Amino acid sequence: MATDGSKPHQLVDADGAPTRDRPWIFRTYAGHTSARASNELYRANLAKGQTGLSIAFDLPTQCGYSSDHPLARPEVGKVGVPINSLDDFHVLFEGIPLEQMNTSMTINGTSMWLLALYVALARERGIDEARLRGTTQNDIIKEYLARGTYIFPPEASMRLIAEMYEYCLEKIPDWNASNVCSYHLQEAGATPAQELAFALANAIGILDLIRERGRFDADKLERCVGRISFFVNAGIRFVEEMCKMRAFADLWDEIARERYGVGNPRYRRFRYGVQVNSLGLTAAQPENNAWRILLETLGVTLSRKARCRALQLPTWNEALLLPREWDQQWSLRLQQILAYETDLLEYPDLFDGSVVVESKTAELIAEARSEIDRILEMGGVRAAVESGYMKAALVRSMAARIARINRGDQVVVGLNKWTEALPSLLLAGDDGGLFKVDQDRVAEAHAALERTVVNRDGALVARALAALEEAAKSGANMMEPSIECALARVTTGEWSDALRRVFGEYRAVTGVEGQSLDLEGERLTALRQRIAQFAESHGHRPRLVVGKPGLDGHSNGAEVISVSARHAGFDVIYSGIRLTPAEIVASAVEENADLIGVSILSGSHLELANQIMAELDAAGARGRIPVIVGGIIPEGDVATLRAAGVAQVFTPSDYELIDVVERMLGVIEEHAAAAA
Amino acid sequence: MKDLGDSARALDKLSIGRLVSLFEDTRAEVAGDRAAVLAALADSPRRARFIGITGAPGSGKSTLVGQLGTRLVARDPDAAVAVLAVDPSSHVSGGALLGDRTRVRFAPGEKRLFFRSQASDRDLGGVGRGTFQVCRLLYYLFDYVLVETVGIGQSEVEIQHVADYTYLLVQPLAGDQVQFMKAGIMEVPDAFVVNKYDQVEAAERAYHALEASLRMARLGRSGPPVIFKTSATTGVGLDELVADLARPDLPRKPMADKEAYFFEKWVRDQYGRVGLRRLDGGAATWLAAHDGFEAAQQAFAARMVSSPRAD
Repeated sequence: MATDGSKPHQLVDADGAPTRDRPWIFRTYAGHTSARASNELYRANLAKGQTGLSIAFDLPTQCGYSSDHPLARPEVGKVGVPINSLDDFHVLFEGIPLEQMNTSMTINGTSMWLLALYVALARERGIDEARLRGTTQNDIIKEYLARGTYIFPPEASMRLIAEMYEYCLEKIPDWNASNVCSYHLQEAGATPAQELAFALANAIGILDLIRERGRFDADKLERCVGRISFFVNAGIRFVEEMCKMRAFADLWDEIARERYGVGNPRYRRFRYGVQVNSLGLTAAQPENNAWRILLETLGVTLSRKARCRALQLPTWNEALLLPREWDQQWSLRLQQILAYETDLLEYPDLFDGSVVVESKTAELIAEARSEIDRILEMGGVRAAVESGYMKAALVRSMAARIARINRGDQVVVGLNKWTEALPSLLLAGDDGGLFKVDQDRVAEAHAALERTVVNRDGALVARALAALEEAAKSGANMMEPSIECALARVTTGEWSDALRRVFGEYRAVTGVEGQSLDLEGERLTALRQRIAQFAESHGHRPRLVVGKPGLDGHSNGAEVISVSARHAGFDVIYSGIRLTPAEIVASAVEENADLIGVSILSGSHLELANQIMAELDAAGARGRIPVIVGGIIPEGDVATLRAAGVAQVFTPSDYELIDVVERMLGVIEEHAAAAA
Repeated sequence: MKDLGDSARALDKLSIGRLVSLFEDTRAEVAGDRAAVLAALADSPRRARFIGITGAPGSGKSTLVGQLGTRLVARDPDAAVAVLAVDPSSHVSGGALLGDRTRVRFAPGEKRLFFRSQASDRDLGGVGRGTFQVCRLLYYLFDYVLVETVGIGQSEVEIQHVADYTYLLVQPLAGDQVQFMKAGIMEVPDAFVVNKYDQVEAAERAYHALEASLRMARLGRSGPPVIFKTSATTGVGLDELVADLARPDLPRKPMADKEAYFFEKWVRDQYGRVGLRRLDGGAATWLAAHDGFEAAQQAFAARMVSSPRAD
């Protein structure tokens, strides 16, 4: 107790009375199958004490395709809810009061469209749009770097973001037009300093653009800085992660003050939401992930100064596939116990004055500052993305991480240490501990789309789309024309196509060029000898075509495998993301590949593998070119894939790269021997 | 080989893909198969023109090549176009990561567009060891072959011996980066393209810097340098560039000259200076005296084996 009788450990309110903090917003990232099925889920989650919504959209919606597009078909309702038109939004939010809800939407390439739908829904319900609260993720930089659901080139994409800020500041003041994401950077391998630097450089890129566009005076610009919010990751090294959050808060305060002259401390506050790390969750002994999630949660809640505003937790089985409702409930209960049973929210910051925390934070700040300076010197975040600088840095960090795990320098319990364990009882239920999308209910989405198209006024649709295209060409703000499109029952695919016609489509740089991996040693030497022998007796190096079919853009796995195979001596043709099975097979045929390797994380592996086999048949190449599949594939599906003709299946438990490359070469050698 | 050749002539991709591998094949014993394929293709009506596309990494070669291919087949219902995109091989592992496909999207059902990636196989001239061999095949199968080079700048001189006509891509300039203009590569291209003209200001800078330094570097040449302005994003200038490379009077280099150059290169690679000295009358004479490239190679190899030092 201090000499004046005050208790530094007591949290007090503005009047000096003892108080307790309000908890952060509890969210669960959810959505699947159809608008109807997702609405049922949201209402159930809210009844369980969830305090905000976090909407997961399916990949077609995220990539700007309606459910009936050929690229969309295998993906509808898989990783989120399909939204084709305003009619779907009416169903999705049925019985949910928009004016009381804080809604977060994980949407990027089509974020303006989804916000327009939300505003249009409010208008049709007679709700003042100024009362809407929530967030559109809308961070295109990390889509180019890691997540892959971009559509348009950087300039057009950045314009869409800026226009949403401009619209929201005037019309929906409590809406976060975008969430600057460092979350996905960590998932792609970023170190804490990289996470800090890349995210802050990204925020600078948005604000610099808004300032340059000159639509805001100084006062509005200051408020706009106050609207920037962040979406951060929290990994298992939770002390360092906590320091990272404190570093974020300090650096953001400094940037807001010095770069944008923000006087009001309220507008300099680092506001952030969190989803804790999924990268470190393991498929092996998956029950251990529950502890990892708990510890990661501490990193973003312990320090009051750097506590998150909203938190969503993954589930213990996320490394295996999609979670069930029960799994999500279990994660929500963790948040509730931490916020309401423990005494965490009764204290001021626990770490002020800690020599260790302050020194660690200062170190992260220094590293991040020099990296931010480097990016700004390059011309800012857009230049650093377009040149491939940031992508290459992430791939390098990811490769280093994998190498540490392979060498055992970084312990991952159940994966590279203490791997002997009893079978997981959590996986023992009738459903195998996993969620499966009900394909019959996916038909609801298709039926709803058909109804919308039949019932709408075609002339109105054409006028709304023409007005949108005109705004896109003239440089006028596209938000209001998008809302008009929503009201006219334009579809997601139509809205996106209108802008594709004006802006074109973009292909991001890959991180695969110029990379090397820390794979050395006798096994690599032996592997290279085997490849040299193959090349000598066949007249060419083993040729591997790598691609990602479907709309899932998480390309890190495919890239790391490509780099590893090249490192061993393969000629690797990397054909990129968002490919149809027909495109992958055409590549393999033209390239006369010895092997096709596809990576699928979206859960559509059975459909896609079957389609690839059918395309090989059609090209007359079935049996000529073997196929391997890797990704988040449940052990139970391995046999099905093998039966469909897939030569090898790589699941999350096959994490050792040299092993993967050896097995790929094995498939090629075996196939060549059988053909000879 | 005859069957493969016939289906390749019908632009069957599986057959062309396999034949390209035959022409890349490093084993000496397949030379006879190559000769047989070429003999089967000799009466093909097509004789491709070879267009070189070179330029530094990031200048947008692949994306532009994709656009050119699509436009060439769209403007002429009979035209068939192949792209050969060369990427570097690792000097450590010998393997390569060929990523140009990520930026080119041809409809999988379009037979008249063919794309092939090729590793440089540690050759330093900007094209691969197998590039010319594959071009000999594609000569009889397509109307246009677009050869995209590795793109590492100053060493990109080999393309002029493969291509009939070469375009150098230049990207928009930030600030005062003009030193690239001094490189010896400026002598190779027949025409220039300032690409990414959607970034108008920086592209204008590049255009003017290029024009100025070309006037200096190419004093001896007649006429002003040809510079195109393109953007694969907005489509600006693409039709003009397509019209240029498709014009009937585009200069062509005789296949015999190219064969002579690469025959000499092959001798140098295989037998060094000793070999070159034994190529007494020059590569063209040696080729003329034998029935085709493969036969000339076999005869020369035999000569080196029977009396490696002197006749």
